[in-house]
Amino acid sequence: MPLFPRSASAAKQPAGTSSRAARRIRKTGVVAAAAAVVMALSACGGGSEPQSADGTVELRFSWWGGDKRAQLTQEAIKQFEAENPNIKIKPEFGDWSGYWDKLATQVAANDAPDIIQMDEKYITEYSSRGALLDLSKYEIDTSKFDEAALNAGKSEDGLTGIAAGINAATILANPAVFEAAGVPLPDDSTWTWEDFERIAAEITAKSPKGTYGAAAYGTDEASLGVWLRQNGKSLYTSDGKLGFEPNDIADWWAFLKQLSEKKAVPTASEVVEAEAAPLDQSGLATGKNAMAFWWSNQAPALEKASGGDLKILRFPTKTGSADDAGLWYKASQFWSASSRTKHPEEVAKFINFLANDVKAGEILLADRGVYPNSDVRAAIEPKLTPADVKVVKFIDQIKDELGEAPAPPPKGAGSIQEIIKRYTSEVLFERLSPEDAGKKAHDEMKSAISS
Amino acid sequence: MTTNLQTLPAADNKSAGAGKPTNRRKPRESRGTLAFSRAQRARSLMKHAILILAGGLMIYPLLWMVISSLRPNELIFREPGLWLNSLEMSNYTSGWSALTHPFGHYMINSAIVVIGSILGNLISCSMAAYAFARLQFTAKKLLFGIMLLTIMLPFHVVIVPQYILFSQIGWVNTFWPLIVPKLLATEAFFVFLMVQFIRGIPRELDEAARIDGAGHPRIFLRVILPLMVPALATTTIFTFIWTWNDFFGALIYLTDPDMFTVPVALRAFVDSQSATSWGSLFAMSIVSLLPVFLVFLFGQRFLIKGIATTGIK
Amino acid sequence: MSAISELSSLSRRKGRATAEEKKANGRDNKAAYIFLLPWIVGLVAITIGPMIMSLYLSFTDYNLLQPPEWTGLDNFTRMLSDARLHNSLGVTFTYVFIGVPLQLAVALLIALVLDKGLRGLPFYRSVFYLPSLLGGSVAVAILWKQIFGTTGLVNQVLAMFGIQGPGWISDPSTALGSIILLHVWTFGAPMIIFLAGLRQIPNMYYEAAKVDGATTLQQFWRITMPMLSPIIFFNLVLQIIGSFQSFTQAFIVSGGNGGPSDSTMFFTLYLYQKGFGQFDMGYASAMAWVLLVIIGIFTAINFIASKYWVFYDD
Repeated sequence: MPLFPRSASAAKQPAGTSSRAARRIRKTGVVAAAAAVVMALSACGGGSEPQSADGTVELRFSWWGGDKRAQLTQEAIKQFEAENPNIKIKPEFGDWSGYWDKLATQVAANDAPDIIQMDEKYITEYSSRGALLDLSKYEIDTSKFDEAALNAGKSEDGLTGIAAGINAATILANPAVFEAAGVPLPDDSTWTWEDFERIAAEITAKSPKGTYGAAAYGTDEASLGVWLRQNGKSLYTSDGKLGFEPNDIADWWAFLKQLSEKKAVPTASEVVEAEAAPLDQSGLATGKNAMAFWWSNQAPALEKASGGDLKILRFPTKTGSADDAGLWYKASQFWSASSRTKHPEEVAKFINFLANDVKAGEILLADRGVYPNSDVRAAIEPKLTPADVKVVKFIDQIKDELGEAPAPPPKGAGSIQEIIKRYTSEVLFERLSPEDAGKKAHDEMKSAISS
Repeated sequence: MTTNLQTLPAADNKSAGAGKPTNRRKPRESRGTLAFSRAQRARSLMKHAILILAGGLMIYPLLWMVISSLRPNELIFREPGLWLNSLEMSNYTSGWSALTHPFGHYMINSAIVVIGSILGNLISCSMAAYAFARLQFTAKKLLFGIMLLTIMLPFHVVIVPQYILFSQIGWVNTFWPLIVPKLLATEAFFVFLMVQFIRGIPRELDEAARIDGAGHPRIFLRVILPLMVPALATTTIFTFIWTWNDFFGALIYLTDPDMFTVPVALRAFVDSQSATSWGSLFAMSIVSLLPVFLVFLFGQRFLIKGIATTGIK
Repeated sequence: MSAISELSSLSRRKGRATAEEKKANGRDNKAAYIFLLPWIVGLVAITIGPMIMSLYLSFTDYNLLQPPEWTGLDNFTRMLSDARLHNSLGVTFTYVFIGVPLQLAVALLIALVLDKGLRGLPFYRSVFYLPSLLGGSVAVAILWKQIFGTTGLVNQVLAMFGIQGPGWISDPSTALGSIILLHVWTFGAPMIIFLAGLRQIPNMYYEAAKVDGATTLQQFWRITMPMLSPIIFFNLVLQIIGSFQSFTQAFIVSGGNGGPSDSTMFFTLYLYQKGFGQFDMGYASAMAWVLLVIIGIFTAINFIASKYWVFYDD
């Protein structure tokens, strides 16, 4: 009688582990009695429903996102069900923060959905613990995928995620704010970090109070990743360690502090506030910042929120050549499957439909980022909104400048962003020097991904 | 701000006139006052002014939400303050039908859970409270201690074991995990609340009933329950509000969008990574606040009704 | 735990009052357990199992996705050297010791004002209760920012006087204060309980006091306070228990990260991050049981102290 439903990877371990655990429980007397009740209950099966008598298979499909995504995705489901009358897809969806609590609970209780929308932040967490299905063993066509996007879902546990969309780290610029300040837009194929600093400071100086040249970076790992890559380092190494030293991240914060001192970026309070604010209340959307760091797939939403035109820029470089920008294609999110699904073939069929079928593409469009399948991308382009087309163009434009695909985030990487955020505010509020923050953050990240 | 301050007194008069309870309470309120002197009138005016000011501050954020729900979505965070340049009702109409089902569907789901929870809490908690407050029995202290312990453990660590329990019974994606615990008095908060109220009821009353030959069920139903109407009203109001607002339980146990309750449905407007439909979110938040507000307005009559009965002593 | 000792005094008093009853049938075991039946079934079937499970998990390394592994006291020893945990304890204690008395004082004051002698009371009560209706709504974060953000209402008012206010929720030195204010703002629940308690005070006491010429203040200290003391006690105990577990408000306002710089990182928020964010449910369970012990100690102190100031009519 195992304590908890065993995951696939646990099943591979020698049986001793769990029986040892069970023996220990018996020792603990009173604890055992009540624990046994729960254990007994959790031991007797569970998971997705078996095939029904009439041969229809029911699959549970869960994703995060707003009401618009729910509508589009349900439409795609209908299309799939029309083509595959023997498969029924039951949608389950919710917003980002609740999604992960629910998923963790469901997986722990052996009650995971069959098809799971997955994020880069958590994919290793789940795959390395055997919760995700190796999709390479099933019929999913990946021949039309960009290599970097495909690699993002690969790890030593197999192909556990199929990219649902691709992204690149960008700087979004609001031309209206540039114009009001009388500062010309930079040439993003040649600009350097010094240019960035000078332009941002100039905009702040020439704009009304409360408007700044740029939003601060330091609220997620993307901008750090770009910075490190431009300096010949990386966030993670392929063997799952940190790919940089304390002084690398200290330099990054030192430059941020310099930006802050020159008033190129908002005050510490405003930065922290912006960090907790939703996308449509960000400085860029409200016209308070001329430039900000965002993922490319967020550009259309930001454009809508700002009520005007936005321009997508490459990151500045150290050298002044866009070839050294060190960008990469990131999977905006993945299609993954539960390793305990009872119908892996049907699951694969559905994921294949979402990833490769033009009909799915025509419904989903660019909701989850630019389509990684280049054929679908081309086929649906006429249907995209102008804002989406802009993103697709940018993605195509930087294709030849991309650096090497980054190593997948190791187990425990889910807490890296939180660590970066925390120390960024320590630096901006001058509670820690960049050097000290660098050391402490590096220590903390190291223990986060090694435990 | 100014407009809001001016409109408040008017609304106040209306509700004061309509509210029967105030009339019923008149005799008690006039206690000690022989005539309305000018000084008293000034004092009462002062009191009103302070209450209105304090109330205005209290509900400023809510007013802002109401105003924002009447703005076009893209202007919500660009127009500060409480001034409305145009009246936009589309947030209400589009918010109502933006999700898989009309918003009323989720309100019905919530209502089912809420009614089940209220009935459960009223019956099971008052029974347990009567035993703790009035009866002598073995292991009473121990059981009371255990009851308090059950509300001291942060709920995050019992979620997973509890989910396992309910998923094995096959109750995931039903309302049972949200209602049945209430039927079994697992909300120690209310048991404790009722214990405190019952202990405030003079014991001579049940002694008298006992001498007349009444057993415990009779004393409980005929003496104690009628005397603890304020506690029951409090329980009803709180259960309504807390269950209506409960997000986490509903999030975990209800997977099918058909089963969503209001708080879960409201989150469907939120997309932290892309565009949140703030207008719809605010509009539907207000719609979902209405029943709670009405229950509160109605329920507080029973808080007042209590005195009529407790005046016996 | 020694809610128990307080109860023993209660039963002693009760023993005196019900000598008659005792003579008749001693204890009411049968009746009591019938009345307690739903509660006992709930305890055994729903509450106790998961609680004991979490106690067991606190001695294991459990990542939610794989079976737990016994590690003995490891989680507890790790806590000793966890600086962020110590910080979160500090934050939580500050919140409890400032927030609870402040909220209860406001709630009692408003309840007294709204109890008698004013027209339109139902309306005022509803207005003062409105903020508490919002609960853990996602809108709270937005609304709170409208007041305490860098360009929020407070700073707009300050700006009229030429003062440049800080970003109250984003500055590490004021963020916790603004969460405490948010807590005080939602005083509706204790206010209602106070109101219900005030309703139960027999009117004749006040009338008798008036005949004796007692002032309003004397009436408050001699009648209202003692008669309301079981309810004040209830609110105090429950508010302390609730505030130690405070989670939602800080979670919503800080976007879940307890920022800025961990200044609003409550104990339960950290526990949640450990359990669900970092898949360290064993450690989170251990934290939960440490918190249970802390809350238990405070509750026990409360019950012991209550003998000296809480007045029961039975």
